[in-house]
Formats: sequence, C-alpha cells, structure tokens
Amino acid sequence: MKIFTLAQRRQRAAGTAWGVGMARAAGTARGVGMARAALAAGTARAAGTVTLGVAAAVVAAVLAGCSSSSSSTPNSGTPGAAPSSAAAGSGGGGSTVSTSQCGSKPGTPATGTPIALGSIVTDQPGTSFTDIANMANAYFACVNANGGVNGHPIKYYIATEQTNPAQIAADARQLVQSDHVVGIIGNTSIIECSIDSSYWAHLGYYVIDSGIAPECYSTANSAAVNMGPRYSSDGAVQYALSQHVSKVVFDQSNVPGTGYIAAGPAALAAAAHVPIVQLTETVPIADANSVAIKEVDDAGPNGAVVLNFTPPEALVILQAAQKLGLEDRVKLWGCSTPCNTDFLAQSLGPKWNSKLFVNAELTPPDSTNTAAMNLYKAILAQYGKAVQGGIGSFSQMGFTEAEIAVHALESVKGAYTTSSVNAAFKSVTDFNTGMLCQLWTYGSYPMHIPNNMDYTVTPQNGKMTTAQGCTQISSVDPQIAAYRKAAGTAALAPAP
Amino acid sequence: MPAWQDFEPFIVSGLALGGVYALSGVGLVVLYRATGVLYLAFGAVGAMGALIAWSMSHAGLPGWAGWVVCVAFGGLVTLGYGMVFGPLLAQRDPLVKAVATLGLTLILFGAMDLLWTTGGGQSRAITLPTDSGGFTVGQVQVNWTQVIALGAGVALTVGTAAFLRFTKLGTAMRAMANDRVITATLGVPVRRVEAAAWLGCGILAGVAGLLLADLVALDATTLTFLVISSLAAALIARLRSIAVTFAAAIAVGLIHDLLTPITALTNYRDMTPFVLAIVALLVMSPRRIMTRSREEA
Repeated sequence: MKIFTLAQRRQRAAGTAWGVGMARAAGTARGVGMARAALAAGTARAAGTVTLGVAAAVVAAVLAGCSSSSSSTPNSGTPGAAPSSAAAGSGGGGSTVSTSQCGSKPGTPATGTPIALGSIVTDQPGTSFTDIANMANAYFACVNANGGVNGHPIKYYIATEQTNPAQIAADARQLVQSDHVVGIIGNTSIIECSIDSSYWAHLGYYVIDSGIAPECYSTANSAAVNMGPRYSSDGAVQYALSQHVSKVVFDQSNVPGTGYIAAGPAALAAAAHVPIVQLTETVPIADANSVAIKEVDDAGPNGAVVLNFTPPEALVILQAAQKLGLEDRVKLWGCSTPCNTDFLAQSLGPKWNSKLFVNAELTPPDSTNTAAMNLYKAILAQYGKAVQGGIGSFSQMGFTEAEIAVHALESVKGAYTTSSVNAAFKSVTDFNTGMLCQLWTYGSYPMHIPNNMDYTVTPQNGKMTTAQGCTQISSVDPQIAAYRKAAGTAALAPAP
Repeated sequence: MPAWQDFEPFIVSGLALGGVYALSGVGLVVLYRATGVLYLAFGAVGAMGALIAWSMSHAGLPGWAGWVVCVAFGGLVTLGYGMVFGPLLAQRDPLVKAVATLGLTLILFGAMDLLWTTGGGQSRAITLPTDSGGFTVGQVQVNWTQVIALGAGVALTVGTAAFLRFTKLGTAMRAMANDRVITATLGVPVRRVEAAAWLGCGILAGVAGLLLADLVALDATTLTFLVISSLAAALIARLRSIAVTFAAAIAVGLIHDLLTPITALTNYRDMTPFVLAIVALLVMSPRRIMTRSREEA
C-alpha cells in the first residue's frame, strides 16, 4: 500500500529520487558516517532517509545536553523579613508556631559578617533535588531574620549540576575558591560524593548532606541525614521479609551504583533464606506495562515487589500494575523513601491502601505534632516559596541539614573560618533534629550512616500514614554492621 | 528461555504500544510526504498536550475537556508551526526542515520543564475511563485502553490509505509529494493542502500523547523521546509506505516487549527501534543498488 505511485513514475522520468530536495539532503549529509555509506551505495533517496534517521537519532543527545548548565547562586534569604508566625499546616494540628524561634534575637535581622555556606544539587529534567537546598535556604532566611547565628547572617550558595563529573568538580572549586564558603551543607547529587569526596577531605570540609552515592556513607568527610537508596531499600525489603513473603523482586533504575545498592537487599534476603530477583530498568521507563508484568510474574502470588525509583518512575510502574489488575497478584509492594510523598498516594488512589509499604527515613509529617515539625511547616509556609514539592521528605531533609548546621555554628567561638566551622560540624553529637528516629551524630568515624532507623508508611486514601514505627535497619547489611561497630547505635530521639 | 505463557501478557502490551507507535508513525509519514518535513516535535507536542490535560483535570475540570484540549493543542501548535515556518523553509533541504522542528521540540521541552517541574518528587498520571474495563484472554488481562490503542493504529492506517486514494484532498497530497511546483501549477491550493497535513499530524500528536501518557507515563522526557520509536518505524518504511510503517511500528512494540522476560536481553530491549531501523536500512539498500544497476545497464 504505497502512497505515491504517481510520484515514482515521475521520479524515473526526472532521473532523481524524490526530486531535488532529497538529493540536496544527500549532499548535506556527507559529513555523517551513515549518510556516507548510503551515498557510496549510490542512492540519493537512501542517503536522504538515512540522513533524517541520523538527525532523529541525535535528537536524544541534543535534548539531553540542552539543559547542561551550572550555576552558583547566592541566596541570603530575606534578612529584612519581619518576625511573624505561620500556620503549621494540617498535620500540625492547626497549631500556630512562631518562626521567630529559629533565631536567638526574634525580629532582629542579623547584620554581622555573613557566614558563607554552599551546596551542590542535581537539577536536570526528570531529576531535581533543588527542594532540599531551597528548604535549607528557607531555614537560613528565617535564622537571618531573627538575629542570625551569633549576629552573623548565613549566605547560602546553591550550585546546580547535571550529572557531569567535570561540572561537579568545577562547582566544588567555585564554591571554595570564588564564593569562599566555609562549610558545605545540603549537597544532594547523584554522583557528587563520588566526584568530590577526596577534594573535601583534602581541604578539611566535613559535609552534611543528603546522600545518594556510596561515598556519601563510606567516607570520613560526609555525613547524611537520610539513609540513601541502599539503606532505604534495605528498610523496604526488611519490612517485606517481616511479612513472611516467599520471594522478593527488587527493581531499581539502571544508574551508576546499582550494584552497591543491590548488595544490601541481597544480604537481607539471603539471611532470611528468601530468594531475591534483582532487576534494573532504563529510565525514563518507556514500557511500564511490561516492567510491571515481569515484576509480578517473577515475584509470584506470595512474593513482594520492592521498587527503588524516583516518584515519577515508581508511579509509572505502580499505575501500570493497577491498570492491568496486577496490584493483588503479589502479597505486597514495597518502595524506598522517594515514594513517600502524598503526590504519589493521591495519584495511586485507594486500591493501594495497605498494599504498598514505603520506607520513610524521616518522621512522617502528616501525623506528627511536635515543636520541630511545626517549626518546619511554619518556615516552609513563610520562607519556602521556592520549595516546589511543599511538605515531604526532600524539604524535611533540607530543614534537618540546616538546623544541624545552625546548631553547630552556634557553638563556634571566634571567627567563622573553614577550620572552625568544619570542626563544629564534625563535633555534632547526639543532636535531636526532631525529624529522625535517632539522635544524630557526625563524629570522627571512617564512615557515616547516622540515620539507620526508619519508619514504614502506607497510602491511605491519598495520604501516607505510618504502618510501622521506628525500626532499626538490620546489621545483616555488612555496611550497617561496620558503622555500628565504629559508632555504636544511637539512642532513640525523644519528641522535641 | 521463559515458557510461552510467560510471553502472553507481553504480546498484549506490545501490540498496544505498537498501535500507538503506528498512529504516530503514519502521521509522520503523511506529513513528510505532503510537506517534506520530518516532524521531530511530534512527541513534545503530544507531551505538552497531555500535561495540559492533566492540569485541567487537576484543577477540577471534567476529564473529557482535558482530552479535547490536548488534541486541539496538538493540532493548533502543529498547524501554527506549519503555517509560519512551512513556507519559509519550503525550499530548504529536508534535513534543515527537520532540524527546524527540533527547535520547536526544545522550546516545548523547556516550557514543560519550567511549568511542570519534577522537583520535590511530584508525580503525575493520566487515567482514562477505559483503564478500568476490559476482558481476559487466557491468563492475560486486557483493558480497553490497550484495545483502543491498537484499534486506533489499525483504523488510522486503513483510513489514511483510503483517504489518500479516494478523496480529492488525498490525491492533492499525493501529487504534492511528487512535485510541489507542478502541483501548484495545475491549480492545487498547495497551502491549503499543506495546512490539512499539518493539522492532521498535530491532531494525531495530541491523540498519541494522550494514549501514551496513559499507557506509558505522563512525563515530558519520556513522551518526547517516545517519538523515536515511531520515527524508527517510519524510517523502516523509508518514509513512504504507511502499510510498512504500521507493520514496523507493531514489530517495534512487540519485539521490545517480548524481550522483557528474557533475562539475558531485557536490559537491551530499548535498543529495539534503533536496531530494527539500522537493519532495515542496511538490508534494503543493496537490493535497490542492484535494481538501479540493472536499470542503468
């Protein structure tokens, strides 16, 4: 059923393939390898088609590179903001909390010499962690508006990157050499820890971050407030095993570090004598139906499917499962922390109530009415306009990192130098953040997994609710065992 | 190697995906033949239409209003682009025309990244009413959206073939594909015919965006890049035959999904459209060389 038989007849008469245009295209394509092959074959038409084929193939590369830019933007918040209070949100029981309590001099803007802090965050299509740094910035804005840290405002530089190692290395050097930051807090990047960990160690920076890459947890100069993909996946698999599933299918993005992440769930399943199937998917997922079918088929009716994806990708798989009627074909579904968002719960609907169990590295905000949680919500409401995701794990991480940093900075006597600030960061011990199960400690350890106790939440009619309270991640994971051997087990955090 | 029954559900999902690829591929081929433009913005236009539909639904408007706007958005943006840039680029190489549509892709892609950010863990989804109904074939659950996707691909292919063969506008499009200047000299309203092609392709972009947002994901990057599978099908058909485009699109969708349960190959299944396109181009070229050699002799 060819469309243009008329055309073919005329081409022959003209002695050209699809007219002058395509012949021109063949000439244009001389620099392209595939088009050259077509030209050698002596067919202008083929060359034209191949040229366009090559053009189509490079679309991906062009689009991928179109947002490659980095920036280091100073954000000193709104130091002139008047003291005020803001509603802490629905989860806070409607209580009103004064944001003035985030500084030592309520209502008095800090006017001293700024303390420069910096962060590097991934911000690219499909993966953006800017909410974490933006929430930290909101906290600093609140502090600056209420006396600052010992009278000094915090000037916060946020550098964004697009998973480009050279760019990330340059970001670190820009923060240190151009912006003169004396501390690094709020880093959240897919590969930043891998790229910069030796640089920070060389300069004596003790980074407070939200970890993803292995080096965020396995080096002396990085301490995260979150558990990261490996230990959060451990938590999700651990919960599934506690429900006596007969098999675990663990599926995650096919990105650098999957082997490291998979080792934790594999160790837990092996210790429980439960078979585990490890899968990886290229993201963004373009065939969610087939992914969901494969997971369910592999897990079996008494098995569990545990996902380790960003919320959009996890949602794609879970919704495909729902549309195909697969949600009840396994005993339970699990997910690491990124799934802990009301966006996901709302998008999924009630079919997943008590069917999906999500590891939560931080205290669930909806059901918690503590001073710290209410302050977090109040700061978010008043200063967090740039925090696009609102209440959720990302902004909680930013809040937690900022409050640890401010707590540490308040202990500094004398000038705020790289040496004094990082010594203060490193000295943080048993600090009650109000956002974690445990007290948080940096300390002088060769590795840092200070958050190793978690919650499990499940969707209930569009909200994530607590299914299991604080539970230690098993020391069956050799990394957790190594950390506890070095640092011990932190005490449970009392409600602040 | 998995058992046959392990492949069965993947046949259903592959056919549904192939149906939408066919829908997109046929739209691309018809536009290319009528205007000489390989429309690389097809996926981005559909993606933005689907995101607009999601926003409308999220704002409390009825779902059908969003679907209509999605399809209308695809038609209007594509028609607008064609009317503004089509005449300006009419005398340029096909490669230049294709790259110009890449500019539209980037503009839309940037706008989507700006307006529907993924920061903070936002996740979006479009659910059509046809998702909840369906039937079972053996052990395999088939929903109506999958049926519609495949049916739309088949219907569009047959309908387009009939349209091109039996209607005045279709004949005009065929003539323009042959020679634009001669066609214009013969009194065919070239601009109007081109406008019809642009509008039709845009409407298909909207429909494909909506279906893919439901079948695959409502994500700007995913939907924008999914056009590559349709392009592969169109290239396999050498941007000529809509029947071959349909068959190639179904093959891309089927093979892609059928590779999923094969452990050794599952991580390579995303290469399917590229491999099929390259193999098709390589296999078809020598035949044509021989034909041409005979003709020249």
